[in-house]
Amino acid sequence: MRTVTLGAGMAFWGDSVQPAIDMVERADIDYLCCDHLAELTMSILQKQKDRNPDHGYTRDILDLIRGVLPQARAKGIRIVSNAGGANPEACGRRVAELCREMGYPETRVAVVTGDDIADRIDDLLADGIDFRNIDTGAPVQDVRDRLTHAAVYTGSEGIIEAIGAGADIVICGRVTDIALYLGPLIHEFGWRMDDWDTLGMATVVAHAIECGGQATGGLYDGDWAGMPSLETMGYPIAEVAEDGTAVLTKTPGTGGRVDIGTVSEQLVYEILDPTTYLTADVTADFSQVTLEEVGPDRVRIFGATGRARPDTLKATMGYRAGWIGEAQFTYTWPHACEKARRGIEFLRRRLDRADFQAQDTIVEYLGWNSSWGALQVPPPHSEDVLEVVVRFAARCADAEDARKVFTQSVPLYNNGPAGVSGIGTRPPIKELYGLWPALVPREVITQRVSFVNAPEGEAAGREIS
Amino acid sequence: MSHSHSWLRVADVAHGRSGDKGDTCNVGLVAFDDACFEVLRLQVTAERVKEHFGDLVTGDVTRYELPNIRALNFVLRGALDGGGTMSLRSDHLGKTMYAWLLRMELDDDGSVTRRRSTPVWEG
Repeated sequence: MRTVTLGAGMAFWGDSVQPAIDMVERADIDYLCCDHLAELTMSILQKQKDRNPDHGYTRDILDLIRGVLPQARAKGIRIVSNAGGANPEACGRRVAELCREMGYPETRVAVVTGDDIADRIDDLLADGIDFRNIDTGAPVQDVRDRLTHAAVYTGSEGIIEAIGAGADIVICGRVTDIALYLGPLIHEFGWRMDDWDTLGMATVVAHAIECGGQATGGLYDGDWAGMPSLETMGYPIAEVAEDGTAVLTKTPGTGGRVDIGTVSEQLVYEILDPTTYLTADVTADFSQVTLEEVGPDRVRIFGATGRARPDTLKATMGYRAGWIGEAQFTYTWPHACEKARRGIEFLRRRLDRADFQAQDTIVEYLGWNSSWGALQVPPPHSEDVLEVVVRFAARCADAEDARKVFTQSVPLYNNGPAGVSGIGTRPPIKELYGLWPALVPREVITQRVSFVNAPEGEAAGREIS
Repeated sequence: MSHSHSWLRVADVAHGRSGDKGDTCNVGLVAFDDACFEVLRLQVTAERVKEHFGDLVTGDVTRYELPNIRALNFVLRGALDGGGTMSLRSDHLGKTMYAWLLRMELDDDGSVTRRRSTPVWEG
């Protein structure tokens, strides 16, 4: 039976490019699919684009292209990526330029847009789309003047179109992670766009591998100590059959492992109701997914199904939501925990006198209760504690207040309890972005495909819906 | 839970992973074998998980099953201090939430063999 082989090249912005390089060199894949975007990423990228109109995409795509292009061109491996972020056009131009610089000017670079609705919000509101927050029910007017970006999780249509038109590299904005994988498969197999069971099955395959090393032994909670060579981790590969089922494996000669344990853990990562995994292309049902080990580092995945895609698409919008200021210091034996608590009391009293305004604050003792601090895990017996690191953080509406957390902690250096270190390095205050999830009708979103280096006489762009 | 009888932890019978979606955290548990999965199904209820997380989770807890891979998925709402982009916590993405669930204590009715061995890393 014919298979199409997809490799997961990158799993997040800033991920190592070495697994992708290893994969194109050693494995036999048809497509390298790369996810660079997390929920927060779009707000950060929009800020970069506001400062420089040539920025606003994840620049790690350039390191990836530098590393994989010669092998990808030699083997005919196509690359599908959402590195375009808030500025897919600029990303596509730079990628095409880089291909020329590297001696591959014939590389056809397509750009998929249409997800960015920031400039359309007022028109869409006027059309009656209310952008009500789907988690809280709050009206978008609460944050309208603080919105920093608005993008719609779009599906695979643009990618299918781009590959069909001969793209070697497809650069997208905020398409779903799943679409990066479904697009090539729908193009190759010619699946109908309402073949829900097949699309649902392929969605589960994509979910299993789209976080890269998390499917091949990274973050594995099973026998983590027995996982071979984590530092040369191979990224996952799916050999997908025409019915959407697949054999999952990884780059030969690399670290990590693909077995029922590693794949199972990733299947339950970041899902809600497994019978109803909503994407722009299909509603996938994970609940009956089944795994079978069919060889060393080879796991067959089958049993998932699908139902009709939702009528709405999910928009994710970012809004400016204040600042975090923080301070952190270390206290030592004797009485490390008591001294740390006294140091925090010192800081709180000084902040009160400085007219400090905060929406919320937190105190964490690193190495003791920082992961589950709200549960008030009791301290170990104080006599046994050689040192404790205490962290104070505050969420403030105003940047000036966030800065006070550091400035008011500085006197702890010589006026507070003894046995303290780590004061005096100014941690940066961090601007916060809230996320505003909302739904938009599918009909108002139109993806557009264009080629950066379109040959003479060919249409530069095409709209699809 | 009283320790006058035999007990074990979730960590003895399952491995786990957690992650974020906005202010919601999900914790997936994968049982080491069929007997372990049965213990999980019977004892790790949504109600007990909600109680186990206490003040760390402000919303409700829902449990789902993926029986063919012997997995339970717990969806914890209001679990991440406003969500990954807003949280003051060091673990703002909930990556360690699964480990707290691994600590939950279970009755040992003798039906399972503890499957997690203490890891030895001989670096």
